[in-house]
Amino acid sequence: MLAFIVRRLLAAIPFMFLVSITVFILIQLPPGDFATSYAASLSAAGEYVDQNTIAELRARYGLNDPLIVQYFRWIGGILMGDFGYSFQWNSPVSELIGERMGLTVLLTFATVIFTWAVALPLGIYAAVHKYSIGDYIFTFIGFIGLAIPNFLLALVMMYFAVVWFGQDVSGLFSPEFRNAPWSWARMVDLGKHLIIPILVLGTASTAGMMRVMRANLLDQLHQPYVVTARAKGLSEARLLTRYPIRIALNPFVSTIGWLLPTLVSGEIITSIILSLPTAGPLLLQALLAQDYYLSGAFLLLLCMMTVVGTLISDILLVLLDPRIRYS
Amino acid sequence: MTLSNPFRRALQASCATALVLSLGLAGPAMAQDYSQAPELDEAVSAGDLPDIADRLPSEPEIVEPLDAVGTYGGTIRSALRGDQDHNGILLLVGAQGLVRWAPDFSGVVPNVAESWNVNEDNTEFTFHLREGMRWSDGETFSADDIVFAAELLADTEFMSNMPSRYVLADEPMEVEKVDDATVTVRFAAPYRNFLEELAKPLGQHLVLYARHYCEQFHPDYADPDALAAELEAAGTDSWAQLMRTKCADIELPTRWGNVDRPTLDPWVIEQPYTGGATQVTLTRNPYFWQVDTEGQQLPYADSLRFSIIADIESILLSTINGQFDYQVRHIFPISNRPVLFDNTEQGNFEIMDLTPLDSNFLGLYLNHSTDNAELRELFANRDFKAALSLGIDRVEVDEIIQLGQGAPWQIGPFEETKFYNEALGTQFTAHDVEEANRLLDDLGLTERDGDGFRLFENGERLSINAIVTIAKPTDVESLEIIREQWRDIGVELVISTSERSLFYERAQTNAYDISADTVPGAVNPTLDMRALAAVHPLESRMSIPWVNWYLSGGEGGEEPSENMKQRLELIDQLPTASSDEEADEIVAEVLSLAAEAFEVIGVSKRAPALGIRASNLGNVYEQMPYGWDYGTPGPALPQTWYFQ
Repeated sequence: MLAFIVRRLLAAIPFMFLVSITVFILIQLPPGDFATSYAASLSAAGEYVDQNTIAELRARYGLNDPLIVQYFRWIGGILMGDFGYSFQWNSPVSELIGERMGLTVLLTFATVIFTWAVALPLGIYAAVHKYSIGDYIFTFIGFIGLAIPNFLLALVMMYFAVVWFGQDVSGLFSPEFRNAPWSWARMVDLGKHLIIPILVLGTASTAGMMRVMRANLLDQLHQPYVVTARAKGLSEARLLTRYPIRIALNPFVSTIGWLLPTLVSGEIITSIILSLPTAGPLLLQALLAQDYYLSGAFLLLLCMMTVVGTLISDILLVLLDPRIRYS
Repeated sequence: MTLSNPFRRALQASCATALVLSLGLAGPAMAQDYSQAPELDEAVSAGDLPDIADRLPSEPEIVEPLDAVGTYGGTIRSALRGDQDHNGILLLVGAQGLVRWAPDFSGVVPNVAESWNVNEDNTEFTFHLREGMRWSDGETFSADDIVFAAELLADTEFMSNMPSRYVLADEPMEVEKVDDATVTVRFAAPYRNFLEELAKPLGQHLVLYARHYCEQFHPDYADPDALAAELEAAGTDSWAQLMRTKCADIELPTRWGNVDRPTLDPWVIEQPYTGGATQVTLTRNPYFWQVDTEGQQLPYADSLRFSIIADIESILLSTINGQFDYQVRHIFPISNRPVLFDNTEQGNFEIMDLTPLDSNFLGLYLNHSTDNAELRELFANRDFKAALSLGIDRVEVDEIIQLGQGAPWQIGPFEETKFYNEALGTQFTAHDVEEANRLLDDLGLTERDGDGFRLFENGERLSINAIVTIAKPTDVESLEIIREQWRDIGVELVISTSERSLFYERAQTNAYDISADTVPGAVNPTLDMRALAAVHPLESRMSIPWVNWYLSGGEGGEEPSENMKQRLELIDQLPTASSDEEADEIVAEVLSLAAEAFEVIGVSKRAPALGIRASNLGNVYEQMPYGWDYGTPGPALPQTWYFQ
């Protein structure tokens, strides 16, 4: 198993190198550069930049250099462990990303736990009680959850929270707690603010996951081994949890790997609307501003997380399903 | 690019006032006359902070509050967007430059500088500073700080190009210290509008850098070991980078990212503006150098708090929920009026109608250098442009887009200003389809295709490609209305929407026939002449190649029309005009020529900009102008706002 992990990690190195080139080219593809996008964004706010300042920005960040030079300056720094300075914020990229990662991880995992906690039992119920009233109700709710775009749900929820309850639901903290040290009151405040994001982010995936669980379990429920076990007098609860559910969980585990990249890029629009201090909006801003040190670091991170996530999934799958072997 | 008459007069008047005030106060101004915010009492009695009299300059600026002398306390709350919105902080804190705008934008008044003299030919500006004025950390502010800033700006390692407001005739300014409280700024040529440039929000460079603090990041002054350690800690090997991070770059958010940086602002940063910030707070500067008429040190409000909200709709939602005490930025479009109006009571705020400084909310900049040869010929023809203009039903556009709050208008200064040029503002603003069709028919564009669009002689459809950015949805919507209206005159308008960077790129590569964007200059046409002549390399969209021709001295780009060449020559003559009258005449002539050339078709005056203030926030000047050059609300002195 160790050899398998090492082999996979080694293979990731050339892969990451190719990714870095792709990422860099992709970031450079949009027209203009940081200086023009800066001028454009100020102009959108009715402000304008003096010509010398634009020239100065280009010279300062080496935007006039050939792409290949810019690429090696960037990747060279990363190899030395230096992700460089963000143009936009004039501060080290590692700090910027680090600042946002904590709450992003918290939010993502809270959402995943919510999703699983709701989707798995409901999915199992719907499968076991196929075509019952309960099944139809959950399916109906599930499809609505799938159909409503998250950002719209977020806007509607925010509006009603404000109009009905006079409560500010944007962000993860109330103003008085935003920069306060951790305390019990702050935790409670965070908990209150997490509810809407988790509901909004969770609904769509809950619905999808519920349907997958239902379908998988239905496949298993009619297998001969289930019939045999039932004939031998195994209790229904024990039978379900022991065998068919375990196998039906297989697709869930293989998608754990996809969770890690969503840490960075998940639900950008929803995060922007809810003003969540997570990584997604920062990535979007960096891309729009053509701040390639910041967006490049994010995208590399994204790819790395996909690689690691897939590896974790593979390992977990083996643990869960004895039919799978390393090869 | 001139200092106009009223400006000059206001400026002289204010010098005189400053003089009178300082004379009048020389006697009675004593320690016991000044008072401070109660929140500072404890620090003073504990000995952590000097007495108020020792913190103020010997003659602080005495500000007369708009309505009433205020009381101390409270936090003014506002909102910022997530990225590149640092200027939102600057505008509310106010750009504390040597000079500032009068609240009504009528001229320049003293600010950090107590007064100034200008020599006969406008090449030398001598500023008199306030003696004993202090930075927010208590160190003395003096002429040395200004000299240091000027050296920094001239240092090509720090800034490869000095900002153009400090460069004239290719020569950078020269700054000389006369004594501790006096500096002289010299230019190679007459510079009539230098003081106006300094009053703009980014004209603050000269008083931005506290020498005693910033020296530690400059290799010429710093202890090499200490500097090396600082560089190491910041993870960079460039002192210029470190200087920008620690000591501000006027254009970058880091300006609000270092809590240790001394400033001359009424409030100083407490929770900084960084990539991960969810809010920015500023607290009272105990050394702020202005007092009210009763000797109370300003500002009245204890602090400012900006919530960072990335989505504009969310900012609006928080506004109607009463979470802000002052907000104009991001919620100003007139379309927000109904929702704001419905919620004034719930949100406990009042709506303000600010006077926009834009001449037109939407101008169609016809590209006189378009690659489309047939169109280029037509754009050079005034009748064609008149027909396009007559084909727009401005009242309809205004009703739909601006709730009817604007008025049909082309471009240029408004009726009540002294530069008003009737033709420039009002020619061809009627909606007259018949006349437009007659003009187009007379141009020989009589053939039409099956869809009713006119055809060129070569059989191609008369189709005009307009670029517009999705960053301004109202611009896109307006164009869609105009597209329908132009059907009636047989002209096809193709709208190319794009993200803002691409919008700029298309303009730079000359890939458009019309560029739709705001037209500045409702009051003072000289502050930004982008729509009047080909002077702005990004924004003068009547022809970017003409701008390039002008800026390269005739070597690059494309030779402009005769009319444009005349205007450019006149603009070159502006700074050296011998008198205000002559300068005004030059401007008037530029405006007449622009009216004749008719390169930009305007749609409608901009409706008032909407803002809100908390119902109990006093001293807010509700009719203040709204625009970047003015820097709303800074010159209306938020430091005098107080909670009733």
